[in-house]
Amino acid sequence: MTSISRRNVLRGGSLAALAALLPGELLAGCSSSSRATVSRRPSPLLVLSAAEAAVIEDAAARLIPGPLDDPEEVGHPGAREANVVRYIDTMLGALSVSPQAVFAGGPFSNRAGGTTDDMAEFIGLGPAEADAWKSRLEAYRSAYRRGVADLDRLAGGDFTSASDAEKDAVLVHDPEGFVTLLFAHAIEGMYAAPEYGGNAGLVGWRDISFPGDSQPRGYTAAEVSRSDGRDPYVPDPTSETLLALIRDSSGK
Amino acid sequence: MSTRTIVVGSGPGASTAAMVLAAAGHDLTILEKGRNFFADLTSLRPATLFSNDELKTDRSFALPDPINEPRVFRTSETDLKPTVGLVQGLSQTVGGGAVHWDAKTPRYWDIDFKKLSLLGPIPGAAVEDWPFDYGEIAPFYEEIERLIGVQGDVAALPELTLRHAPRSGPLPMAPGPPQYSSLVVAGGCTKVGLHPFPAAMAINSREYDGRPACNNCGFCSGYGCPIQARVGALAPLRRALLSGAELRDSSTVVRIETSGSRATAVTWIDATGHRHTEAADQVVIGGNSIETVRLALLSSLPDPHQTTGRYLMFHWFTDGSGIFLDERLHAHRGRDHTHDIDDFADPDFPGARAAARAAGLPYFRAGKIELGGTDRPLDEAAQYQRILAIISPKRPFGVEFKRLMRSSLLRDRLLGITMMGEDLPYATNRVDLDPHVRDWRGLPVARITYGPGAHELAAQAFYIPWVVRLLEASGASATIAIPADPSSRFAIAEATVPQTEHVMGGMRMGNDPATSVTDSVGRHHFLDNVFVADGGVFPSSGGHNPTLTIMATAMRNSRQWT
Repeated sequence: MTSISRRNVLRGGSLAALAALLPGELLAGCSSSSRATVSRRPSPLLVLSAAEAAVIEDAAARLIPGPLDDPEEVGHPGAREANVVRYIDTMLGALSVSPQAVFAGGPFSNRAGGTTDDMAEFIGLGPAEADAWKSRLEAYRSAYRRGVADLDRLAGGDFTSASDAEKDAVLVHDPEGFVTLLFAHAIEGMYAAPEYGGNAGLVGWRDISFPGDSQPRGYTAAEVSRSDGRDPYVPDPTSETLLALIRDSSGK
Repeated sequence: MSTRTIVVGSGPGASTAAMVLAAAGHDLTILEKGRNFFADLTSLRPATLFSNDELKTDRSFALPDPINEPRVFRTSETDLKPTVGLVQGLSQTVGGGAVHWDAKTPRYWDIDFKKLSLLGPIPGAAVEDWPFDYGEIAPFYEEIERLIGVQGDVAALPELTLRHAPRSGPLPMAPGPPQYSSLVVAGGCTKVGLHPFPAAMAINSREYDGRPACNNCGFCSGYGCPIQARVGALAPLRRALLSGAELRDSSTVVRIETSGSRATAVTWIDATGHRHTEAADQVVIGGNSIETVRLALLSSLPDPHQTTGRYLMFHWFTDGSGIFLDERLHAHRGRDHTHDIDDFADPDFPGARAAARAAGLPYFRAGKIELGGTDRPLDEAAQYQRILAIISPKRPFGVEFKRLMRSSLLRDRLLGITMMGEDLPYATNRVDLDPHVRDWRGLPVARITYGPGAHELAAQAFYIPWVVRLLEASGASATIAIPADPSSRFAIAEATVPQTEHVMGGMRMGNDPATSVTDSVGRHHFLDNVFVADGGVFPSSGGHNPTLTIMATAMRNSRQWT
């Protein structure tokens, strides 16, 4: 029952201290080609205005780019394709629907042998949870309202019409920590179960070869116990920097 | 007329005591603060709302939400920057800490129960014996192992483990399929002379007691079991209910009313916010070390020696990670991990005595290591978000992030191991009420003051190179071993907060009211009819997962309360 502690691997202050030992070699940015289209959201938005949604979609697509956002990502869907903006809108509006859309149901989805998608039936909140989520979502809502305005302002009026390089510069600026928050939510919209509104078509899981929920089928003894065979890591500059950080810190 | 008993909490210890007392004819009500996510709890296999859903756990499903039920953490009495928020993450729901667990159920050792007699004192620490020895608790271990269904292979246990925790027979079930990542690191352990074995765990490897065999879905530690292949506290809870006990969930006990040397009633708040005061002949508290102490302090239970909340123990964890560049280890399939080693729980491990002496200690111990396991994508991605801010500050996002996710050095190519370290009991490590921070009901929250002592630091310093060595012997291309719960006393890290689920002490058992809170059967020293049934009563932490011992101790003690 200990492995929540796994979350602390490489986390926090220890990593910061170790990173200080490394040369500050940075990775080259990627050039970007012009964008073909902005995807259309099929369902109406709960909370966000269309203008806010457009800014959030473009910003999230710089953080987690797909084929329309970075030439290196051809064949690799990103936040735009996963519909991260719908995930964020669903979260911000979670208390305005019934049952509240905070905790997906159970025990199964219909992706791994289940006959119905139980996860699509959300579990309503109890009083303690409702109190917590009211506070949390009010804070998020105001952070998004202010953050979108800041992104527009820093981009000279309209974030969505800025160039990729200008967008990146604005995002690195991270006004009042909004981009850090947006990135955390974009990650959830990319790699959480699709019942929460993102990970459309499971593109997030597919891109990283993660099977997602596995009940009620589970795994066979052979799948659990045997090697999947050789699958050599293909070096890329970012992963190499991380490996160097790990090797450098080992034993210190 | 039967004894009117109120049990606070429905976790492993509380449910075990409830089972014993209900069977003995008590008129018993269980008040559980958390919600109930199971259907008919008297059935062998209740339907459940738990699922393979990482975001649900990250959103504090069935856990206290740190926004309105925070805790405060300090590294010492003089820590001027306490942390407010998520501090230690045990479940708050029907079934308690045995809901979000991967059900590893080792036994404690003879030297845990008679630590002072068998190993001796350690300067600065309050090393004590338990009120009973291994021989006395062994039959209760067997009873709990049958009750909750434990898999494992006694014949494969190392001589060291069997010497310190002898077994009179086999476990109820044979081990399920070994996890590939666990086999890889078990191989590395053998190469460097260590002794891996299939871990004992309360998970079905075949149909058992009306519940199915585990299908190794991979969402184990941190997740409720969607198919009830892991039953935990629900087994004793079911028996309590079948004996006539009543369970009220979403019912928060806020005060135990006392008169002289007796508790008279319990005050609790229901789901709609209404307060009730209900008379009781007997009160059992099983809220876990931290919440039980909080309730004792909120109730101003007699505490003439100021011992309530002291001698709090976690397990001073170390996380080891091996990165494998030639293959993916698919540690997302399985039961978190399937193998352990016990070598580092041995005070006589080669070199350990000498290293202890060099640190001014007569001996030290770490604890068992859980071999194998990894993170899931949301945790992995969150790590990359933090790491990119360090290694790529000019653009900490974009294609660099996606490359990391696809390479998956910290998930699919990661082999994780977790070393427990025995925490010695120190009077300074404690739980009290925070003077400022209150929860959403306006009640003072628990404040935790905790830092490792010389024993913990010396043991960890000695064993961290071993963690690296065994990962290298397993074929890892890169390795790292980091204390999972660093504090400001650890040189390489600034303070972070313990997120361990192993919490012990605070209501410790003992014969001397000046150094303990409860007596030799877990009864409050100054209240004749108040009993504690959780890890709070532990006089020492051992070096192994505590839940089996929490249940066995609750059974041993509660059989003497009637």
